[in-house]
Amino acid sequence: MDFELTEEQVAVKKSAVRFAQNELNDEMIERDRDGAFSRKLWLKCADFGVQGAAFPREYGGGDADILSTVLLMEGLGYGCKDSGLLFALNGQMWTVQMPILRFGSDGQKHGYLPKLCSGEWIGAHGMTEPNSGSDAFSLSTTAKLEGDYYILNGTKTFSTNAPVADVFMVFATVDKSKGFMGVTAFIVERGFPGFSVGKDIGKMGLRTAPMAELVLEDCRVPVENRLGKEGNGAAIFEDAIEWERSCILASLLGGMERQLERCIEYAKRRKQFGRPIGKYQSIANKIVDMQVRMETARLVLYKVACMKQAHGKATMDAAIAKLYLSESWIQSCLDAVQIHGGYGYTTEFELERDLRDSVASTLYSGTSEIQRNIIARLLGL
Amino acid sequence: MTVLEKIEKFLMAEVAVDLDKESLQPDEDLLGSGIIDSMTVIKLVLFLEETFGIEVKDEDLVPENFQNLNSMVEYVERNQGNR
Repeated sequence: MDFELTEEQVAVKKSAVRFAQNELNDEMIERDRDGAFSRKLWLKCADFGVQGAAFPREYGGGDADILSTVLLMEGLGYGCKDSGLLFALNGQMWTVQMPILRFGSDGQKHGYLPKLCSGEWIGAHGMTEPNSGSDAFSLSTTAKLEGDYYILNGTKTFSTNAPVADVFMVFATVDKSKGFMGVTAFIVERGFPGFSVGKDIGKMGLRTAPMAELVLEDCRVPVENRLGKEGNGAAIFEDAIEWERSCILASLLGGMERQLERCIEYAKRRKQFGRPIGKYQSIANKIVDMQVRMETARLVLYKVACMKQAHGKATMDAAIAKLYLSESWIQSCLDAVQIHGGYGYTTEFELERDLRDSVASTLYSGTSEIQRNIIARLLGL
Repeated sequence: MTVLEKIEKFLMAEVAVDLDKESLQPDEDLLGSGIIDSMTVIKLVLFLEETFGIEVKDEDLVPENFQNLNSMVEYVERNQGNR
């Protein structure tokens, strides 16, 4: 087992940190306050190679291995204060681009991936419905084949990027009697007849990642826009979510490192009762726990990256990583606020935003409860 | 033990344990009945791969291969024949 990163991998992370610090943090407080998505930053990320990083060169990607991609996202998480932007990027990369790459026809790959890698198009994912969240495959949206088209009817909710997206990965059932194996994936373009984006959804954090409902009313989707076979949607969804679970967390890891360094610096500088607060055990222990969580989170995450590179699948370990990193991230955010005291609670110090943003991490890509269910099943329980 | 018997034994012990059933019919619909769902299929795939030495690809997770015991047996035997 080799814990050393190559020079190239270290350079990837450093380069991402520099890019993010220099290019992605302008007017962060205002953009968060206004819930403003920035297409300008989206395109800067595409120019830097973020969206295409893990995708083959023939589709406009960078052909990076998985660990290098994780390090790229970790570097962005360290350097970029805009967790919403990183969430939106991850959402597109793993739940729109990756399923097209892994299950798409040549036409679908060549038709969509270059536009998504270049930033020209934005992608969104449509699985969750008003009445199906954790029980995702009990969805109600239907798809009926009529000639050369599927007719889709239903409503999706919590679709990240939806207000600004051009293409949507939508899941619907072609046959409810087949249970979860009736679920089928479709690539829906914004201009398809019967498709519309509903109202924007306001939220506690990740405000720069816009979110909305998708409305499908007799939406006509050409047969060639079905992704994979009929009934293969559940497997496609699970594969995509496993990728997301494995990689979206890398940005959280970078965020933990950023917070830790900031807390150490503050604990050395801030004096109370005549001594730096870091000299008090109650503060020092909190920072030590942040360090321990970050290092263990890194080991878990890199292991998943290596497993996916080698085997493609890492169901148990991806669930462990999702569970552990998301809960560690929230705790790290709480600790950072507590260490900074009243200042930590202020908008100006930009720690309360991290905390608000972090709360979503135990909800998206499968709640902590679902991760525990997956692990329990694989333990034979 | 035949392929069908091995799969049935696994499903009865690991998946259908709460269903108060003595056995599964070869053509019994396992998807519509919910006996195989999105959580149990993870264990089922691991079982098929380890027991029969096959690789269950994601694109094979479709009703034609998992609707009932008969379709699973056909899938396993086809997969073994292709090795």
